[in-house]
Amino acid sequence: MPLQLVYLGRNLTRNPLRTLLTAAAVALPITIVVLSSAVIDGINLFLDNSGKQLRLVVVNRASIVALLPEGYRAKLEVVDARRPIHVCGQRWLGGQLPNDPRPLSTLAADVDTFPAVFPDYLLRPGELEAWQTDRQALIVGRGTATQFGWQVGDRITINPSVPPYVPLQFHVVSTAPDAVDTYTLFCRRDYIAEELKRNHYMEDRVSLFFVKCRSASDLEFYRTAIDPFFANATDETMTQDEKTFMNQFITQQFDLPRNLTILCAITVLVATLAAANTMSMNFRDRLGEYATLKSIGFGRRAILATVQAESLAVCAAGGLCGALVPYIAFTYTRLREYPVPLIQQLQIRPVVCLLAVGVALAIGLLAGAWPAWLAARLKPVDAFRALE
Amino acid sequence: MSAADIELVDVRKVYRKGRNAISALDGLSLHVAPGSFVVIMGPSGSGKSTLLHLVGGLDAPTAGTVRVGDAQLEQMSERGLTAWRSRHVGFIFQMYYLVPVLTAAQNIELPLLLFHMTGRERRQRVRTALDIVGLSDRTDHRPSQLSGGEEQRVAIARAIVTDPDVILADEPTGDLDARTSEEILSLLSLLHAQYGKTIVMVTHDPRGAAHGQRVVHLDKGILDRDVQNDTHAATAAAHK
Ligand SMILES: Nc1ncnc2c1ncn2[C@@H]1O[C@H](COP(=O)(O)OP(=O)(O)OP(=O)(O)O)[C@@H](O)[C@H]1O
Ligand SMILES: [Mg+2]
Repeated sequence: MPLQLVYLGRNLTRNPLRTLLTAAAVALPITIVVLSSAVIDGINLFLDNSGKQLRLVVVNRASIVALLPEGYRAKLEVVDARRPIHVCGQRWLGGQLPNDPRPLSTLAADVDTFPAVFPDYLLRPGELEAWQTDRQALIVGRGTATQFGWQVGDRITINPSVPPYVPLQFHVVSTAPDAVDTYTLFCRRDYIAEELKRNHYMEDRVSLFFVKCRSASDLEFYRTAIDPFFANATDETMTQDEKTFMNQFITQQFDLPRNLTILCAITVLVATLAAANTMSMNFRDRLGEYATLKSIGFGRRAILATVQAESLAVCAAGGLCGALVPYIAFTYTRLREYPVPLIQQLQIRPVVCLLAVGVALAIGLLAGAWPAWLAARLKPVDAFRALE
Repeated sequence: MSAADIELVDVRKVYRKGRNAISALDGLSLHVAPGSFVVIMGPSGSGKSTLLHLVGGLDAPTAGTVRVGDAQLEQMSERGLTAWRSRHVGFIFQMYYLVPVLTAAQNIELPLLLFHMTGRERRQRVRTALDIVGLSDRTDHRPSQLSGGEEQRVAIARAIVTDPDVILADEPTGDLDARTSEEILSLLSLLHAQYGKTIVMVTHDPRGAAHGQRVVHLDKGILDRDVQNDTHAATAAAHK
């Protein structure tokens, strides 16, 4: 092996704990970068799918938590008879299992129009029939189903987070194997309406309407036509295409993409500082060595390369671990099925890993820059005097 | 086998620290004949190390000229000096300054990385250098596994492996006991006598001075005394 490589290798193992901790300090942010990219990827995939569905979302203009009369559905259906649409009213239930704190995202949907408005769910003949005939039917996103270990035919009880506030019984009729949304649960609104009525709550209001259009031009038309239609009603509406609505929902509720990016930037910065600190300590420990190499006749470039090579090697090792561990975990282990709220399961693309390793190398380059410069500029005479 | 002469003419070296100016060398002129063994002595702070650094091209004089063989050092760039050092100078320090993570052989091989040479050629050179310093059996030992005297032998092997024209040693026995010091001094005498190297050695040790052909005394940055050593202890020691 060339002596230069031997020297590099021995330098790395000179202080194994220091090297290991530095690599770990780089690995962790790289893992965060990789996972965050996967989450942002997932959100974008979700939004892209929403954009393809030719659906509008109609909510109460006053606030997203305010409700709309269910009677609006009939009015929506006759805004323009020449442009037929399907309208599905939905009411938010949220909910939890009796003995499980994990929040569920349950929506009660109009039975008749759900299959037409959400054809991307591709309900199979048996499932469709069960949905139409079983008052307690429940369609569970497959991610949620996996998380809770549910199968078609299971009976489950959900305590809603909103009225009617009583335990509700359901039968799982589908785990939506083809749906892009793997997270949401849909039950029948007629069942919920009955329960609301029985517990003396208003049952004739919905959280939102999904409007399925036949074409892009119809979608354009309804996007602007609906709101003026209800302009002077008690409850004014706000109509957006599904992608805009979802995007707004995600950014307003969590601002996930932005916050994740900030988180990544901060952790990468911290890693850079940690690695830079290590490289500075190494530099101070090896003052005499660098001075000797220079007096032997090694030039600035050789010294610079020595320091940078070590910094790059440590950070590259950390970066590789930080990228490979989540990649393997989310590609080849059961974690692959781990459902993430709102979005699909995490899919880590190899190109993201590659980019993350690039980030790690950039950390190495930055961390080594100052010590490498100092080492390259070091005057042997000064170093020897300092060490005397 | 090669050797160079050394000529310093009216050399001044002033260190500035803020408003203070310390004159380390104050108009020193000196000629060292090729292949001679010169010992530099003098009280602490008299400018001995400074002189060695100037001759080795590690530092530039404030005024005056320094010539080593054909090289006029004060006219060379830092880059030029660095390249020149790798071919023409071998340094030996009081604190050895070996790379602790490399073996004796690897430490000696380091300077050869700056030469275009095959691996076989490098190993051959390293083996020869180890033979000369008498450490053929310690090739794969790390500095921490060697005694002080052995470490200094490795440092000497590292200094001679490139076959330099001059060897500059700054208190090479400063950290060693009397017996080990004597061994190191004999080794330097041998390099001088057998291989004809020009050697400039700084020492506080009068016994060390006995190995030189000539003893130059510095005081406050100027030449105080310049004594020829008639006993030729150096030659004598080499043939012991
Ligand atoms: N880089 C520097 N900055 C400031 N002053 C320096 C520097 N290098 C040397 N000096 C001063 O120059 C003078 C000569 O120093 P030098 O190291 O050459 O002495 P020396 O004869 O080798 O002493 P010693 O026997 O203690 O090694 C001293 O007064 C020292 O303090
Ligand atoms: Mg000195």
